[in-house]
Amino acid sequence: MTRKKVKLAYITNDSARKATFKKRKKGLMKKVSELSTLCGIEACAIICSPYDAQPEVWPSPLGVQRVLSQFQKLPEMEQSKKMMNQESFLRQRITKASDNLKKQRKDNREKEVTQAMFQCLTGKSLQNLNLMDLNDLGWMIDQNLKEINKRFGTFQTATTSQMAAASMAGPSGEHASQRAEVQTFEVKNDNMQRQQWIVDFLTPQEPSGIWWPG
Amino acid sequence: MVRKSRGRQKVEMVKMSKESNLQVTFSKRRSGLFKKASELSTLCGAEIAIIVFSPGNKVFSFGHPGVEAVIDRYITRNPPQNSGTMHLIEAHRNATVRELNMQLTQVVNQSEIEKKRGEELSQMRKAGQSQCWWEAPIEELTLPQMEQLKVSLEGLKKNVTKQAQKLLIGNSGPPQFFASSSSGVFFPYDRKAGGFNPNMVLPQYDYNNLGYGRGFF
Repeated sequence: MTRKKVKLAYITNDSARKATFKKRKKGLMKKVSELSTLCGIEACAIICSPYDAQPEVWPSPLGVQRVLSQFQKLPEMEQSKKMMNQESFLRQRITKASDNLKKQRKDNREKEVTQAMFQCLTGKSLQNLNLMDLNDLGWMIDQNLKEINKRFGTFQTATTSQMAAASMAGPSGEHASQRAEVQTFEVKNDNMQRQQWIVDFLTPQEPSGIWWPG
Repeated sequence: MVRKSRGRQKVEMVKMSKESNLQVTFSKRRSGLFKKASELSTLCGAEIAIIVFSPGNKVFSFGHPGVEAVIDRYITRNPPQNSGTMHLIEAHRNATVRELNMQLTQVVNQSEIEKKRGEELSQMRKAGQSQCWWEAPIEELTLPQMEQLKVSLEGLKKNVTKQAQKLLIGNSGPPQFFASSSSGVFFPYDRKAGGFNPNMVLPQYDYNNLGYGRGFF
């Protein structure tokens, strides 16, 4: 089993082509069979090649006849609705692949811009960015600020509802201590943060700190 | 690790029990089957016809050079016609298919490049997150962290605006950053923050078409 990429073109080497044909034909038949069994549906396959005088079929000549009659009984429109040849099939695949590529590029661009934003936050210069980059960067900053403000909002409602619950429940042990816990945690954090800020502020050009404007 | 799909796992060859899974399996496998058939015809020049009925009794078919042609050939047991016109038609069709295959290969290759790039970028982000708290997703930040980040971001935004203004004013003649699409929507940056002078000639570009594959710095 090759793990090499095969070029999507007619194989010019005769022996290689014949060998590939045998293997892939076998694989194709297997796949039709699996599809039919797993999904409980009717199917047939016909393969003609210069290597076999008779066309090879699945499931059997009788089976093929059965499916063919079922197929040909259908109105013309029904038959052709989902009928494809190489051209139409490849065009469809190209469209899907192109759409996927566009999405990938968009996602990667967003990741790139986010990276740039983090770098600029820690002091990297804006000199090398062109207008397009700056615009994207500005947009990304706005998106992040939006999200921060949104979260501020939820924190507000959380604390106000906590306080409302506490006052409603009266000075009951549980609520009061919960509130106190939240407050102490925040205070502790504040102290740690303040220490960190001071350290960063005092250490000039420290790349690991937050870059302050001005 | 929770697996999303059953790829590389052995599947029992019996009719699937879950109706929803059955439909999905049909879609995926039918698509894969046609893909294999397409490859077989391209690689080896074989003539193929495949007909499948969906669980909902809709019929899908794939054929090269065409479903009808192959069926006819099979039923009538006739060897393919050997006329000059047929050869011409066939040659033209083969040329088109060749081109389409090349196009498809190109797009698939580019997709792989983007995928790798995406993975690199995600790696960088992950690595950064372990060292710098502000690179973590915002929902993981504490209140004071968010406050500090907000101040820094607002400061950065001011500088970005300043720098953009500098570039705009300094620009004489057509801007060089025009990417691919000229049919873009101008992405309004921030008029409130004393942004761009609306009387100047503003560039038109579409956020979705910007700077692909270009490094940032």
